[in-house]
Amino acid sequence: MTATAISQGSPAPPIDHVFRALSDPTRRHVLERLSQSPASVSELAGAFKMALPSFVQHLKILEGCGLVHSAKSGRVRTYRLAPQQLRLAEDWLSQQRALWERRFDQFDAYVMSLKETDT
Amino acid sequence: MTQSSIPTIDPNLDLVLERTIDAPLALVWSALTKPEHVVKWFVPAPWTITACEIDLRPGGIFRTVMRSPEGQEFPNDGCFLDIVPQERLVWTDALKRGWRPSENPFFTAIVTLDTQGDVTRYIARAIHRDPAGKSKHEEMGFHQGWGTCIDQLNKLVKTL
Repeated sequence: MTATAISQGSPAPPIDHVFRALSDPTRRHVLERLSQSPASVSELAGAFKMALPSFVQHLKILEGCGLVHSAKSGRVRTYRLAPQQLRLAEDWLSQQRALWERRFDQFDAYVMSLKETDT
Repeated sequence: MTQSSIPTIDPNLDLVLERTIDAPLALVWSALTKPEHVVKWFVPAPWTITACEIDLRPGGIFRTVMRSPEGQEFPNDGCFLDIVPQERLVWTDALKRGWRPSENPFFTAIVTLDTQGDVTRYIARAIHRDPAGKSKHEEMGFHQGWGTCIDQLNKLVKTL
């Protein structure tokens, strides 16, 4: 067993998606751009020499792993940075801590239930 | 636990969790080491443990099979290194049954127990080789560029 079995074992844990998303230079540029201010698809795409469908695919990957959020207003879809998920990628140890904390919360509750049955 | 066998904790890589529980030491030890108990608490819900094998001696196996909410199962094999009943339990995933080295060593866990008045105190230390993400990066062919990007984003995140 491992402390990270849940993150390592599952086929696509959130953290992996985040790292995968960050592995592409286009997607990193999009994040950098969004770190300044929210932007529409066309504003974002304007900075890249690539077909729009390919670019939209990158945005979908970023949104899929929770690094950005988007909202549609009329015909314009605006993207904004979602820093929470980035913290996750950076703060690996916090994840480990959260896992052990939850594990021991369950442990404590279970031990107390054993104690009740014993007495 | 002798002072020398407690590892030096690296705050960047390791965790120390200390708790007290209003239950007798024997009961806490039992919940920690018996398969029928371990299956009840070892993974955070909604994950479950579908199988557990514990051979409580140095070199003995500590095996759990974790089941995801989607129904996928993931076996995890570890090996006990040190057992002092009601006092100390040490295991690692760096070794499998019978001290055979594993493919993907990641951590060692050291749980120490003692009685404090009428409550039990337990301290768990999880010591790691390196952040899982870090080794994944290297496998994924990360390059310098992303670090800078993250540094910038990190600065931003701190201001939010």
